[in-house]
Amino acid sequence: MDFTFTDEQCLFRDAARDFLRGEIKTQRIRESWNTDSGRDTALWRQLAEIGLTGVTVPEAHGGLGLDELDFVQLAQECGYVALPEPLVNCALVAVPLLVAVGDELAAHWLPKVAAGEARVIAGLAQDPLVEDAHVADLLLYGEGGNLYALQPDEYALVRSESVDPSRRLFRVTPNPGVAAVLDGAQAEPLLAAGFERGALGCAAQALGLAQRMLDMSVEYTAQREQFGRPIGSFQAVKHHLADVAVALEYARAPVYRAACSLARGDPRAPLHVAHAKLAACDAASLAATKSIQVHGAMGYTWEVDLHIFMKKAWALAGSWGDAASHKARIAEAVLDDGAPLGAGATF
Amino acid sequence: MKVLVAVKRVVDYNVKVRAKADGSDVDLNNVKMAINPFCEIAVEEAVRLKEKGVATEVVVVSIGGKTCQEQIRTALALGADRGIQVEVEGNAEPLVVAKLLKGVVEKEEPQLVILGKQSIDGDNNQTGQMLGALTGMGQGTFASEVVVDGDKVNVTREIDGGLQTVALTLPAIVTTDLRLNEPRYASLPNIMKAKKKPLDVLTPADLGVEVKSHITLLKVEPPAERSAGIKVADVDQLVDKLKNEAKVI
Repeated sequence: MDFTFTDEQCLFRDAARDFLRGEIKTQRIRESWNTDSGRDTALWRQLAEIGLTGVTVPEAHGGLGLDELDFVQLAQECGYVALPEPLVNCALVAVPLLVAVGDELAAHWLPKVAAGEARVIAGLAQDPLVEDAHVADLLLYGEGGNLYALQPDEYALVRSESVDPSRRLFRVTPNPGVAAVLDGAQAEPLLAAGFERGALGCAAQALGLAQRMLDMSVEYTAQREQFGRPIGSFQAVKHHLADVAVALEYARAPVYRAACSLARGDPRAPLHVAHAKLAACDAASLAATKSIQVHGAMGYTWEVDLHIFMKKAWALAGSWGDAASHKARIAEAVLDDGAPLGAGATF
Repeated sequence: MKVLVAVKRVVDYNVKVRAKADGSDVDLNNVKMAINPFCEIAVEEAVRLKEKGVATEVVVVSIGGKTCQEQIRTALALGADRGIQVEVEGNAEPLVVAKLLKGVVEKEEPQLVILGKQSIDGDNNQTGQMLGALTGMGQGTFASEVVVDGDKVNVTREIDGGLQTVALTLPAIVTTDLRLNEPRYASLPNIMKAKKKPLDVLTPADLGVEVKSHITLLKVEPPAERSAGIKVADVDQLVDKLKNEAKVI
């Protein structure tokens, strides 16, 4: 069986990489912290011009109709540059939700998303705070087992601070009397699938963040000299970064498998997503710790860009289910009486 | 008006190149390859001419092994209409490339041929000029602005003393400088569309050209490492060192 990505998927990744690494410099991220919304409408339009906002929008609505497996490497690239815009939420969670809801709602909003004229954001209540709700033209909000499709005048927001200055978090309260688009048994599978996609998006971004921090550390330790030679040549420093590289490699496969499982509708997808989220966020967390270590005192400073990626990694670790909740999901899948064990079931 | 654009596959400009251990050539193992940046500017200019309604078709040509089809596909994703690969194994020197391009020019009969002023691997800066000599077309090299006006093309050139504008009668050859334009990014939908655009493969024999090398690469070596800087005590010492050691004043 061939586990490699297709040529087309790699071309998409390279195109997204060229754009994101060319346009999303850390200076641009720092500038966004000082704006009211923290978001950049011009950048969102650029993302649309490249075709990134419409990646998962069906072709009939002006998109490319790609799936989770096609998108996973793009989400990774978003993580690598710590993209502040809510692209991963929109493309990986909100758009598939809209497609599943269907009808006029989807027909109205999906072409706008593909064209970059609207941001559709999903907040599915596992997290009490919704990121980027303030810039959502349509907010797909799950509460009490119901799914709401809220326009900006249909909910109230209260801002909450985040460890990551790039994040804008809000507590959402729908206005009284606003009706759900789906409720109860109809909403439940959609909300559950949305949660898995959200967690996958976090995992993929965490992979990108870990890679970025590792690359920064390798570059720094190759330049910084002590005792007459680069500190990267010292075994103790090498081992730190080798540990990160190993954790990253061990996280990569679970993330890609989770994307594949979701794309194929594998019933074990929740188990795979939980594994991916844990492995990738652990790798990102390790990368952050070790990167700060090898940067020495420089790593703690505001001027060095490392903290941009470190704080995003911390924030993602607690989004779309924290480590404890994903461990509990894995425990439920493999430790319950009668749970299938062995090849193809537990690994 | 048909525009022919030549593109070359080179090591990506972000990659720090290394010489092979035996010094026989540059090490290309596991190195990211891309379109030569000046060729990318040429593609962008041709696509902009098409978007303005000046050009009707943009044909992109590359000379090399099968792998150069990647760069042709990239150019197609950037907006070119069809591609031609002239299949040549190994490094073709500028004169051979110019002769092959002359064959393609005779076959396609473009009104305008746009090339990068040089490739970032060989840095020869010869192919456009050689093609001009072989085809007898007028040439506007180091272009920072290209304006097609009827049967003429006005090319603003970046020269040592400033800018020079020349008017060329079409068909003509233009080689691009860095400031001509800023190439766009390939969009995902256009990458998908590029797969369906036609790409013809020709051999040197199809173009009546014999691939023959006139140059032998003797040795490739990295530049000498810079020695560490020093602090000077005063201006007099600085001037002395600049005059007698560096010999720059």
